[in-house]
Amino acid sequence: MRVVLISSHSGHYTGGVKEFEIEAQTLHDVIRVLNQRYPGLGEHLEEETSVAIDGEIHEVAYYHPVRPGCEIYFIPKIEGG
Amino acid sequence: MDAKVIKQEGQTLKIVGTSPVRPDGTPKVTGLARYGADFALPGMLWGAILRSPHAHARIRAIDTSKARALPGVKAVITAEDFPEQKFEFVGPERVAVNFWHMTRNVMAREKVLYEGHAVAAVAATSKAIAEEALRLIEVDYEPLPHVIDVDAAMQPDAPLLFEDMITRGIDPPPGKPSNIAKRIEFNIGDLDAGFAAADEIVEMSFKTAPVHQGYIEPHACLARFDSNGQGELWSASQGHFVVRAFTARLLNMNIGDVLVHPAEIGGGFGGKTVIYVEPLAAALSRKSGHPVKIMMSREDVFKATGPTSGSSMTVRIGVKKDGTLVAADGVFKFQAGAFPGSPVMNATMCGFAPYDIPNVRSVGYDVVSNRPKSAAYRAPGSPISAFAVESVMDAVAARIGMDPLKFRLLNACKTGTPTVWGPKHAHDGYAETIKAVLAHPAYAAPLGKNQGRGVASGFWFNNGGESSATVHVNEDGTVVVATGSMDIGGSRASMAIMAAETLGIEYDDVRAIVADTASIGYTHVTGGSRVTFATGIAVVEACKKVIVELCARAAMIWKLEPGEVVWENGCAKPAGAAAGKFEPMPLKAVAAKRALTGGPIGAEASVNAGGAAPGFATELCDVEVDPETGSVKILRFVVAQDVGRAIHRSYVEGQLEGGVVQGIGWALNEAYIYDDAGHLLNAGFLDYRIPVASDLPMIETVLVEVPNPNHPYGVKGAGEVNIVPAMAAVANAINNAISRRLTDLPMSPPKVLAAIHSGRKG
Repeated sequence: MRVVLISSHSGHYTGGVKEFEIEAQTLHDVIRVLNQRYPGLGEHLEEETSVAIDGEIHEVAYYHPVRPGCEIYFIPKIEGG
Repeated sequence: MDAKVIKQEGQTLKIVGTSPVRPDGTPKVTGLARYGADFALPGMLWGAILRSPHAHARIRAIDTSKARALPGVKAVITAEDFPEQKFEFVGPERVAVNFWHMTRNVMAREKVLYEGHAVAAVAATSKAIAEEALRLIEVDYEPLPHVIDVDAAMQPDAPLLFEDMITRGIDPPPGKPSNIAKRIEFNIGDLDAGFAAADEIVEMSFKTAPVHQGYIEPHACLARFDSNGQGELWSASQGHFVVRAFTARLLNMNIGDVLVHPAEIGGGFGGKTVIYVEPLAAALSRKSGHPVKIMMSREDVFKATGPTSGSSMTVRIGVKKDGTLVAADGVFKFQAGAFPGSPVMNATMCGFAPYDIPNVRSVGYDVVSNRPKSAAYRAPGSPISAFAVESVMDAVAARIGMDPLKFRLLNACKTGTPTVWGPKHAHDGYAETIKAVLAHPAYAAPLGKNQGRGVASGFWFNNGGESSATVHVNEDGTVVVATGSMDIGGSRASMAIMAAETLGIEYDDVRAIVADTASIGYTHVTGGSRVTFATGIAVVEACKKVIVELCARAAMIWKLEPGEVVWENGCAKPAGAAAGKFEPMPLKAVAAKRALTGGPIGAEASVNAGGAAPGFATELCDVEVDPETGSVKILRFVVAQDVGRAIHRSYVEGQLEGGVVQGIGWALNEAYIYDDAGHLLNAGFLDYRIPVASDLPMIETVLVEVPNPNHPYGVKGAGEVNIVPAMAAVANAINNAISRRLTDLPMSPPKVLAAIHSGRKG
């Protein structure tokens, strides 16, 4: 699956790399794989981003299933008025 | 966990979508509702706040000795009474909290950064003594040059609010400090190639004035401390759990040592998602040993609480002759006020979101200036960028000779359309709002002399997140639903409806309340149009747990297995092999035997709700412009919004009407007016002109319902997107009436008159 980091702070951990191909079963797995590659990135994603899985926006949570071939975007968290 | 979706196909809804009597109505109209200012305790003191007379000044010294010596004064506080906070941005980017900033906003430290900035506070036995004590506090200020306008604040020689602030979001970081707190950029496609392929390009620049949310109830808080160091607050806010967390942090307390009671709220619109008086009342109470109440005046609200940003924007859009959008570029500069944190990121994400445009760049600047720190305001950021984008869209449609609605429909996003921030849209709904206005009789109605018609559209994310709810079955079979969501827009009614619908009982048998922070699980703020979606899911989940328990109790009464009982139409009913053995047993009958079958019946559910679907709105505005005075009269206004599904229909219609009216005020009248010294000149509703009923026609609402499959009843959210298109719709109508494009809000009579006389056609 394609994983894209939109949060601008993500670049501090990845050296500017924004796109990844990852195989995983859950969002927890995605975060763990990214954190293994870029230590500290996992905490950033957990605390400071929302996630869009195939366009559906969720707060980041471990249990979200991710299907093979899906698109995952970690995006800035949105709040309203 | 996310709630499982209840399939809606074939679902017969009895109460959802109706408009039963709202539970908060009678207390409010009879004056019995208790707002933050209505609470009092024995031995209570009155708090008062000393505010800065300067827009920008260094604080050399504060002498409170004379105030402390005044008989009746029990406590005086300054910034020294609050612990210093670490300088770090905590939390998500758009709403990242920096407690170093927050503690300085509630009480100035090294400098005052805007007129009205709190400098000290007093608690005394009467209001008069507290006010007198403020006059005895001596503050030695060193006045500094100030800057308010966003373009002026971005100049290299502008007075700096923070001498060490380096712009974030630029790599490598700038070598010199500035007032630009942050730069944001989103891109898709190839912008240059996109514009090169365009047959027509329209570019325009815009400015918008900062405006206040204009809630009727000023901020107020009552605080008391026990001798064991635990604090208790009564406060009207949009999120008492956030009030608890922020206040505890600024006072260096554990969250669990602060209990916040939700008061009734007299409007918020985003402006009550932050704290102002709460930590001051709490600190005064802790220091004095008495309960302390602080109430803001209207002048305080205008001068010291968060309005939304003023802005400066440039938008360029390229199109093919057949109406296909090929490129768009936007630069959005927002006033953050005295501390970083404007909603410019939302603006950059929302502005072009309604459209399928292959090549887009969207750039934002968050800029500090000597005004109160901005706070959220109804779809924060989106109305501002929409004013620019939708004005240019109107001009593009005119340039290529297309109907403005059909032009939008041609380019409307749908499921699968990429967004500038990356993901593809996952929901439809926008095209349906355009079609609703196209089909509305107003779109074909004739116009008279000096009259014009404008249309515009808008996007807002809506939101989900953490919510908690409990459902308890009373002894008589009535039900109490408690949530942690402050009710600013009808959530008690909508929660009661969803509970009644799920349980299969009457609406009048459900009482919905808002519980305090010790009585319900964490619940995020009432904002982002999230409550009916997220808290609604929690309520339905709790009801489903109660139904499981009710079936088990009925099974025990009937000596059946739990699996042999189902719940239908508010009754337990034998099923399977037991079907027909007993008459259905209503909830009241099950409740009557609760003690015999195991005791009280109730359940709690907490969710982190995902899958919120965005809101789209398309609006039509008819105006008449007086060519002699420049006055603009709103003749007709139609708002079509995709709400997913309306739970309480008239409440949802009210949300649409309210958002439009606020947008009309933003378009025509509202603005902060400053003198050369940075003093606000119109800090009251006589001079800060919000629309009143006599200014307006009846707003015509069209509820478009494209259900969200991620909510048990299809809810998307209704509270915010209605304001997004409004200013552009008015501007486009004025342009249609006088052939002049106004690009500077508010479009007040002097500006309209100047445009008429300018000879420059839009």
